Amino acid sequence: MNRLDYLVLIATILAIPLYGLWRTRGSASLGQYLKGDASIRWATIGLSVLATQAGPITFLSMPGQAYESGIGFIQNYFGQPLALVVVCAVFVPIYQRLKVYTAYQYLGQRFDRKTQLLGAFLFLVQRGIAAGITIYAPAIVLSALLGWRLNLTIWFAGGLVIIYTVVGGTKIVSITQRYQMIVILVGMAIAFAVAVYRLSPDMSFEGTLSVAGKMGKLEAVDFSIDPHKRYTFWSGLIGGFFLALSYFGADQSQVQRYLAGGSLKESRLGLLFNAVVKVPLQFLILLLGAIVFMFYQFEKPPVYFNQPAYQRAMESGYASQLKALQTQFDDVFVQKRAAIRAVSSTSSNERDVAMTRLRDLDAQARELRDRTKAVLEQAGVDPKSKESDYVFISFILQQMPHGLVGLLIAVILCATMSATAATLNALGSTTAIDFYRPLIPNASDHHYVVAAKALTAAWGLIAIGVASFASLVENLIEAGNILGSVFYGSILGLFLAAFFIRRATGSAVFFAALLAQALVFILFATTNIGYLWYNLIGCAAVLVLATVLQQTIFRGTQAPAGV
Amino acid sequence: MNVGDDKPDARSWRKAYGLALSLFAVEVVLLYLFTIRFS
Repeated sequence: MNRLDYLVLIATILAIPLYGLWRTRGSASLGQYLKGDASIRWATIGLSVLATQAGPITFLSMPGQAYESGIGFIQNYFGQPLALVVVCAVFVPIYQRLKVYTAYQYLGQRFDRKTQLLGAFLFLVQRGIAAGITIYAPAIVLSALLGWRLNLTIWFAGGLVIIYTVVGGTKIVSITQRYQMIVILVGMAIAFAVAVYRLSPDMSFEGTLSVAGKMGKLEAVDFSIDPHKRYTFWSGLIGGFFLALSYFGADQSQVQRYLAGGSLKESRLGLLFNAVVKVPLQFLILLLGAIVFMFYQFEKPPVYFNQPAYQRAMESGYASQLKALQTQFDDVFVQKRAAIRAVSSTSSNERDVAMTRLRDLDAQARELRDRTKAVLEQAGVDPKSKESDYVFISFILQQMPHGLVGLLIAVILCATMSATAATLNALGSTTAIDFYRPLIPNASDHHYVVAAKALTAAWGLIAIGVASFASLVENLIEAGNILGSVFYGSILGLFLAAFFIRRATGSAVFFAALLAQALVFILFATTNIGYLWYNLIGCAAVLVLATVLQQTIFRGTQAPAGV
Repeated sequence: MNVGDDKPDARSWRKAYGLALSLFAVEVVLLYLFTIRFS
């Protein structure tokens, strides 16, 4: 990165919060602080919802994921449009009618206080940890590649988010997310165009995609019912539906986004916008990864993309082993490039032979990368992040023109800031409304605004604390992805029981959720079920157990009417 | 459709949901055609 890059980076990430602070200047009531005001329209809500979900991992990891395993991950989003329609039709009108600040207030009104606290508590635990991971994940990659100090990166990104989220509340989160998302979309569109432009002139774009497809990178839809396949149409549609329903219907970091503005119409339009654009957007991000893969079929890639870790291993007495692997990798690369040219230039029979040869060489290259990783593990320099997370960022740093490098690093930091701001805003609001206000019930509006600000700042410091100590735990980023699924099922079960089991009472649902959560913990500890299925298991367990408990132990109790 | 809508409004929203889901179905079909074309 040169001075121009740093200028673009700093101007981009500072200008948006400063504009947000100017737009939200002046004091706000509790309602305005937690829900924004009527000026927030569907486009802002839609982009805000999109930005909250995206996060930095989408832009760091997704292209790397496609580079490694192809674009089949797109199927994980197939349940989302259906879930968003259900949220629009069932969840949003209830939240809007009851004028709640948090989703868990609804549980308090429908059931009782302990069920409200349970829902809020499960949310706080998993989102509190997830906020730290959202800051840590890009910080570890950027600090490794750019030589920034890890703790300074964490404190800079985290500190800036805390300041503007605490000052401006929900309205500033929505406004900044709108512009951060615009920067992200523009940045990724330019990156896509540059990546296509940088592809080898030896092959047409269609020919390039054709080779990528034959190398297994472009299988977007797989209708297989094989349960061992990680990404299929069916697992994405069913498991993804429950994950998205829980995330958009019962996770306060999303609920607060679409309740901003307070109009049912604007909330619904914002969510339907996401139902339509999410799949194409993720497809383009994954396709970008496949294009980067094809770029590196003609331009020699490093044998290991995390070069700082590789260099440390070289200096730790493993240079001879790594050099031997590098020589073999270079040899395979030259043969692979020749095979690709043969694929695109020969007759049909010869093309099949060349294709078989190409797949064989690609498998050899993968094996050499795995062996390199094993050497790095032996050397004790293997970092706590996946190597594929370094693919796209390395491509940006090495192949993009100056100025654009700064913009794309800004894209990753904007994604970090927007996702973290939404989470801190939700954590502060939930703690203030579901826990603090019932303890001190008759204080002034101003008192609760100050409390919400203090609690948002406290959650920000906790998130920075989690991010600072995250490096002590192996595979923490993976654990973060699993964490949501472990808790989401029970939380969704609480809400579905509230909506659809009319006779269910607070006690039956409360104990059902505790038992369901225990069941998910046991399954998590003793089996290796794909984590997406915990959403379905936890939710189904709450609904079944609540019905059974209501018919047996809590038979004499009655649900409150009219909520 | 739900507790928050009057009848004409509910009909418009049902159409909007139908349109969103139809567009999603088109997206899946296009992705499937893309898969067939390039695999």
